Order: sequence, then structure tokens, then C-alpha cells
Amino acid sequence: MLELRDLHTFYGPIEALRGIDLEISQGEIVSLIGNNGAGKSTTLMTISGILKPQSGDILFEGESIRESAPHKIVRMGISQVPEGRRIFPKLTVRENLEMGSFSGRGDAASAFEMVFGLFPVLQERQNQFGGTLSGGEQQMLAIARALMCHPKLLLLDEPSLGLAPIIVSKIFKTIREINREGVTVLLVEQNARAALKLSRRGYVLENGQILLRGNGAELLNNNDVKKAYLGEQI
Amino acid sequence: MATSVSQKRPARTSEGVLLKSLVAALWLSFLFLPLKGLSAAVVFFFAVALVLVFSRSLVKYHKTITGMLPSVRLSGLFPRERMRILIFLSFLFAAAVPLFAGDYYIDVAILAGIYIILALGLNVIIGFTGLLNLGFAAFYAIGAYAYALLHTKMGFGFWTAMPASLVLTTLAGFLLAVPALRLRGDYLAIVTLGFGEITRLILNNWDSLTQGPNGISGIARPEIISFPLNTLASYYYLVLCCVIFSIFIIRRVHASRIGRAWIAIREDEIASSVLGIHATAYKLYAFAFGAFWASLAGSLFTAKMQFVSPESFTFMESVLIVCMVILGGLGSITGVVIGALILVILPEMLREVQLYRMLALGAGLVLLMIFRPQGLFGGKGVSLRG
Repeated sequence: MLELRDLHTFYGPIEALRGIDLEISQGEIVSLIGNNGAGKSTTLMTISGILKPQSGDILFEGESIRESAPHKIVRMGISQVPEGRRIFPKLTVRENLEMGSFSGRGDAASAFEMVFGLFPVLQERQNQFGGTLSGGEQQMLAIARALMCHPKLLLLDEPSLGLAPIIVSKIFKTIREINREGVTVLLVEQNARAALKLSRRGYVLENGQILLRGNGAELLNNNDVKKAYLGEQI
Repeated sequence: MATSVSQKRPARTSEGVLLKSLVAALWLSFLFLPLKGLSAAVVFFFAVALVLVFSRSLVKYHKTITGMLPSVRLSGLFPRERMRILIFLSFLFAAAVPLFAGDYYIDVAILAGIYIILALGLNVIIGFTGLLNLGFAAFYAIGAYAYALLHTKMGFGFWTAMPASLVLTTLAGFLLAVPALRLRGDYLAIVTLGFGEITRLILNNWDSLTQGPNGISGIARPEIISFPLNTLASYYYLVLCCVIFSIFIIRRVHASRIGRAWIAIREDEIASSVLGIHATAYKLYAFAFGAFWASLAGSLFTAKMQFVSPESFTFMESVLIVCMVILGGLGSITGVVIGALILVILPEMLREVQLYRMLALGAGLVLLMIFRPQGLFGGKGVSLRG
């Protein structure tokens, strides 16, 4: 469904991605783990078209989207939940969701029904300002907003950031649910254990390069991963 | 022992405050001395000392005062039904102005109308979209000069020169926005400021076309189907119609898909990009749309004055329009209209005290920023971001 081929992205003179190869098939949950500054968010921003790669290619359903503008990429069905939620604090929950269907993909009514089914709390609070929600609710709103355009592929950037463990497990459960509805998910996480448990396959990113790849269970048992990302002594 | 020390301390600091205020007042009145003579300077000293001591002692209660103020929500003061009546009444009042007011007041009212259109236009850029534009007078100038040149050199009448000027200025808004929109926040502000100055300097120095600092004169009054708008009152009604037209259109656009996109960009540009909003395009629209209104105001201004020169479009002019938008409340249409009215009418009323009116105005703005940073009507509290 999505394929990254030898992707290089720069911030000015700094090479943030040094040749990423990555592949996601229809219906999968794939996680991308790594330390701060490894290039995880850069990868997502490059897929979304906010950053332009220097070289390499991005194929979505066989078509190159490397040169496409961000709004066209959204219209093709790739939606992102950006890091740190980035909801609109001065708009109501409902207005936030309406902005999610701005691209005009699919109809808004059925999208509202779907996201309110996933997150009933958002329906209760639809007239509240986004900024008055708790951190967990804001994350739900950010995910719901990204689902408003009926995406084929959902990019999630650290949905567990700054949330209590109980909320994190709730969010992860919802991600699985979303995936069951037929949405392919690319999950970027620092919480490696939770992410790898949820995913079928995973990639480990370090210094802008893919260090390891494999299925979720394999990576969870890999000694390097255990040492570097799971905090286990070998 | 310990208690006596803690009791003593506040007394000592308030003495210090008193002393500092008195020294400051003395210094200011000393500067004032050559302007108005000794007796005035003494009065000035007491006035300043009183104000300083008073405001210094207010500092302690700053929190309590600001805590009290937001409970007075001006925008919430009038519910929808009452607001409608209020708007109707103010419309009636505006329509009746020429019936009871003298020429001077109608003149001020025309000026106020022109500034309302300007401030509403700038509000689209700063208030809705969150792009700080410090060179708005440039669009105003381009609109005014386009009108003046089309009128004097090509013989266009009001009803052909004005639309042509609108088109030209909107294009200029686009052209400025294309390079400027690669920048954000403070950098954008500096570039727009530069654009404002460049425009003024070109108008000032391109003698063969604009006649430089002498300006362009001999512009005829507009006419409606060969009836010239000779009287001030008839011109006032023309401006009033334009103001109502601009409020109506801007309200509709604000509520539309484009308006929503502007607000989303102001709130969070990256988030709006990943939601499929073409941020660059919508910022361009905001600049062009704002320039459109500036051009309307420029045409009206030129036709009213029957003369135009670069002097009218200085940096201070841009700052004044920014002040109107901020005073009224970023993003609020009612607020911006009232902000423009205040900043046009107040200096006129303060004309009696010539020397100090800018001082009083400045002090008023500083107080406003301390106690009501969101502006008079900015209920939602908008932050300025690039």
C-alpha cells in the first residue's frame, strides 16, 4: 500500500533521514520505534508531504506521491495525527472535527457517526473548546479529527505522549479497533513495548536509518531492542 | 523581633515607591518647563506625581483588578436578540448623522467610515489568519494611487476607476504575499513593514508618474448617473453604503469554508496542513482579500480629498490601523468597527489638548494592554502566531 524507497530528507544541511526503506501492506498495523531524534516524525512528515525528500521515492497504491502537495496527499487517503496532538484549542470539539473533513473525502455525517461511536466522550463534549479537554481527551480528538476524512492509511505520531498508562492502553485498544474497521495504521512510538505488542510488524529507526525490521514478537525478543528500548538488562 | 521586622518592611518599600515616583515626576516636569512655563510645570508635577503614586500602589492589586475585569465580557453583554436591536439602532443613528451634525462632524464620520473599512480588511489578515502585517498602508496607497492615476491620466470615472483599482490592488496583494509567505511571525512582520516603506518611497520618488511629494490633485467628485456627489452628506452616504457592504461580505466570508480555513491556519498551521488545508493558498487569499478592502478605502479616500500624496501612507498609518484591530479585539468584526471609531473620533475630541492627545492615546493603549490584552471585544482570546 505504502512504500518508501531509499528516502533522504534534509533539514537545511542536516540529513535527518539517510535512506529509509519501508513497506506497509493493506490492513496492517506497522510500528516505527526509535529514540528522540532518530527521524520518526521526520518520516511521517515526509510521507504527508510537509517535508520534501531530497532523493528516494514514496509510493502510495503504486503511485509516486513524492512531489504531491500535503492537501493532495490527504485527499488520496493518508491522514496524520501529528505529534503533540495539535488540536485547535479555540475551536469547539465539533468545529475541530469539521476541520478534519475539510478535504471533502467521504461524507461528514457518517464520519461523525463513526468517531462518536469510537469516542463517546467527544459527543458529550462537542460544544466545549478543544483547549479545555484533558490530555487524553485531546488525543482522542486528534485521532477522531484525522479519521474524519475516511483515510485509507492513518499515520499516528506518538499517541501515548504525556498520557497516564491507563489512558494509553485505552488509546491503543482504540487503534486496534480502528484497524479492524479496515484502516491501515503506521504507528510511531517511543513506548516500544506497547507499540510492538499491537503491531504485526515493526521497524527500529536509529540516526535516520532502519536498524532492524521484523514482526512484532521477533523484535520484542531481540536482545538489542530489549537493551536499547525496553530497558531490560541482558 | 521577627514580627516587627516583617511589619517594617512594607512601610519601607512604599516609601521607596513614593520617592521614586516623585523623582520621576520632577524629571518629567523639568522637561515640561520650557514648553509651558513655571506655573504649568508645577501643576504638571503634581498631576504626574499623583498618577505615578496611584498607579504604583495599583501594581499590588494588579492581579485582583485583572481578575475582576474578564468577568465583564463585552461580547457577552448583549445577547443575540438585543444585539440585533442594537445593530439596527446604530444603523439608524449612522444614517441620521447628516441630518443633525455639522460639516465638521460629517467629515470626521466619513474618515471613520474609511478607517473602518481599512481595519476590517487588516483584520482579515491579522485577526482571522494570524499573519502580522505591518505594511497595510501600502495596499491603501496602491488603491488610492491606482484610482487617482486611472482617473487623471486615463479619464476613468469613479465607477470604472474604483473597480479597476480594486483589481489592481488585489493583484498587488497576491504579488506581495507570494514571496512573503515563506516567512513566519516576526520575519513576516519585518518584510511587510519593508514593503510598506518601499511602496511609499516609490510613490515619493517616481516623479514622472506620481508627481512625487507634490501628489496628484484635481480629482473630481464621484457622481451617480451624472449627479455629482457634491455635498458632504451625499458622500457620507456613499461611504456608509461601502461600510455596510464590507461588513456584510466579510461576515459571510468569515463563516464560509475559506474563513474556517483561515482560523485553522491561525490556530495551528501544521495541523491544518495535515488535515488537507492548502495553507499557502489560503494565506494568499487572506492577503488578497485584505488588500481588496484597503483599495476600496483608498479609492474613497482619494475621491473625498480630491488629492493624494505619499504623506498619507506612512508607517504610522499602518501602525494606526494595527492599533484599531488590536484595540477592538483581534478577529472580532464588531470589535474592530468600534476600535476604528474610537481611534478616529478620540483624537478629534482631544484636539483641544493638541500637544498631549498622542500621549493620552498612548497611555490609554498601554492600560488596555495591561488590563484587557485580548482587546475590547476579543472574547475568544486569539494568539498571534506566524
